Amino acid sequence: MDTYFLANARCGAWFSRLAGRFNLFYPALLEERVHWQKYVPAGFRLEQLALRQIRAAESIKPFLFSPRERVASFPEPLSPDGKDMPTLLFGLKGCDLRGIAVHKKMFLEGEFADPFYARRLANTYFIGADCPVPEPSCFCNLLGLQPFLTQEVDLSLSVLDDGWLVEVISERGRELIDGDFVPANGSQLSQRQAQRERALAVLKQQNPKEWNPNLAGAIAERTSDRKFWVDAGADCVECFGCLMTCPTCFCFLLYDQGNAERFERTKVWDFCYIPMYARVGGGANPRPTFVQRFINRFHCKFMHAKNQNGFYACSGCGRCFTTCMGRIDIRKILGQL
Amino acid sequence: MSGAVKNPYQPVRAQILNVIEETPNIRTFVLKPETEIPFLAGQFVELTIPGFGEAPFTPSSSQFQRETLEMTIMRVGRATSALFTKKPGEWLGIRGPYGKPYPLREFEGRDIYIVGGGVGLAPLRALFLALVHEIKKYGRIYLRYGARTPRDIVYKQQLKEWEKIKGVDIDLSVDSATEPWERKVGVVTCLMDEIPCDVKKSVAVVCGPPIMMKFVTKKLVEAGFPGKNIYLSMEMNMSCGLGQCGHCRLGPYFTCKDGPVLTWEQIKDIEEPFL
Ligand SMILES: Cc1cc2nc3c(=O)[nH]c(=O)nc-3n(C[C@H](O)[C@H](O)[C@H](O)COP(=O)(O)OP(=O)(O)OC[C@H]3O[C@@H](n4cnc5c(N)ncnc54)[C@H](O)[C@@H]3O)c2cc1C
Ligand code: SF4
Ligand code: SF4
Ligand code: SF4
Ligand code: FES
Repeated sequence: MDTYFLANARCGAWFSRLAGRFNLFYPALLEERVHWQKYVPAGFRLEQLALRQIRAAESIKPFLFSPRERVASFPEPLSPDGKDMPTLLFGLKGCDLRGIAVHKKMFLEGEFADPFYARRLANTYFIGADCPVPEPSCFCNLLGLQPFLTQEVDLSLSVLDDGWLVEVISERGRELIDGDFVPANGSQLSQRQAQRERALAVLKQQNPKEWNPNLAGAIAERTSDRKFWVDAGADCVECFGCLMTCPTCFCFLLYDQGNAERFERTKVWDFCYIPMYARVGGGANPRPTFVQRFINRFHCKFMHAKNQNGFYACSGCGRCFTTCMGRIDIRKILGQL
Repeated sequence: MSGAVKNPYQPVRAQILNVIEETPNIRTFVLKPETEIPFLAGQFVELTIPGFGEAPFTPSSSQFQRETLEMTIMRVGRATSALFTKKPGEWLGIRGPYGKPYPLREFEGRDIYIVGGGVGLAPLRALFLALVHEIKKYGRIYLRYGARTPRDIVYKQQLKEWEKIKGVDIDLSVDSATEPWERKVGVVTCLMDEIPCDVKKSVAVVCGPPIMMKFVTKKLVEAGFPGKNIYLSMEMNMSCGLGQCGHCRLGPYFTCKDGPVLTWEQIKDIEEPFL
């Protein structure tokens, strides 16, 4: 695909032009952590873009799969049709994409596609950005992802000293490029290459131990070893933070509010660690103990996902243990399998 | 293009035509949906109690009866209690059908050994009615049904009529006979001491409370039914019914999409306390 160069002096103007066409969100460094910010022109400076840092503290999941969304109403039905201003996520990372892959499988590829998710996805543009310096929490490389984007986004951006390299990945992306861009030259491409190799080397260095190549099988075998799982989850305080920040978790609950004449149905995120999650009518619960629910998470992300979809439902983003009160590190558990 | 895309979370309105008192805590609701719900025996629907929420139920009427649909429901908790305040003329919501039907084609030419417990006879009635609709295609149909007491038996009148159908063999039991009762007393497995069909060539279909399913399945396996010929209705917590929300996960399956009927072969190695 074609790669272009945009000199530093012109980056701000391009960014503003894009911002005029989209609901634009970008990563910003706020008190030492990167967070997604909605672009507002007043007071914005290009230096606020945190493109060289790793993924934001929050995943991009809420942009596509809303934490709370109205999905039906009664008696007048709710239509999923409608047109919103398109959204642009500017500067997402390699690991941000795994969530989309999982959610596409869950919400769009079954017999009953979710039209609300489909509409949001179609209406969202993605510009990825390399991670030149992975941080200690990063392990995307162990899960088949990379600290840069070569597919599944519209444009892929690499920050060089004197400007941005922008690779066109999709046809939609091509339309975002304009006259200020010039074709990238060989030296710029090799700078990008060197930067990407350094990032990969950092990841390899901090995750030196190869995992069991068949994690799915290893988890199946370990399932009945209760001691292993009890020990692994011993420090958990059941705050559900790990599941709430995880970009790949897909569970939700539908609930109704209103009265017999009119009501609304809302879809909210749900989490399998919650004790009531699987309870059935009359009170029986197939996973009454925490250790069963803890194992369920590993089954879901690493066993069923792999067996059924061919990839793990984990991105290596490290948000779960960065958030965890008990400092439960998923890498350690997977490393022991 | 308003209304062009189908919204799978949106229920259609269904009017309650009749409410039949089956037992002190089980009622059959006869519903007429505004748009037909063309279900097949074994599939389920999500029933909306307006303003209250949804719960999954299997239609108990015949799949060949298209305009109305019946559901036989036991009052166990929050949603079902709200439903029990509803009267003929009032409205509910329905979406579906969801899940996989009984594989009737595979049942052809075989004896069918059906075991039900309590309100579990509801989905089995839809199956039974589908079978007798084309009874020549199948071998003999055995129905074994148990309830707590004679008062707790659902479809009392219909059971009497079904017994008269040629090719159908029905046996009933109650856990305790609190009132005059001429048939067996004991849990439903007491009807299974002799299994009159050729177990290697027949199919068994079970629906009832988890504890009953557990012991019935054990008996069936011991009697020699191959695991792939034992069909069990699995009750898991369902929210979406669409295979999206994750709630109904049972091992590698989503009960709403891969079930709700799963074979013993499929679930025997799954580590959940049900069965
Ligand atoms: C495929 C299938 C078919 C079924 N067919 C039949 C049938 O034909 N007849 C029949 O009688 N039963 C049937 N059932 C069982 C029936 O669905 C349950 O009995 C019913 O859901 C009980 O609902 P309840 O609210 O009255 O019970 P409760 O015990 O109050 O709650 C049931 C479920 O709803 C959840 N819940 C309760 N309150 C809330 C709340 N405030 N917010 C969120 N969640 C909540 C609980 O976690 C629980 O999982 C079937 C179940 C399945 C899965
Ligand atoms: S996990 Fe990989 S892709 Fe994600 S922020 Fe870290 S280095 Fe970047
Ligand atoms: S399990 Fe942890 S590392 Fe994996 S995607 Fe979820 S939050 Fe990221
Ligand atoms: S974040 Fe840690 S403490 Fe909280 S639920 Fe997850 S594993 Fe348990
Ligand atoms: S009920 Fe939602 S996935 Fe089965």
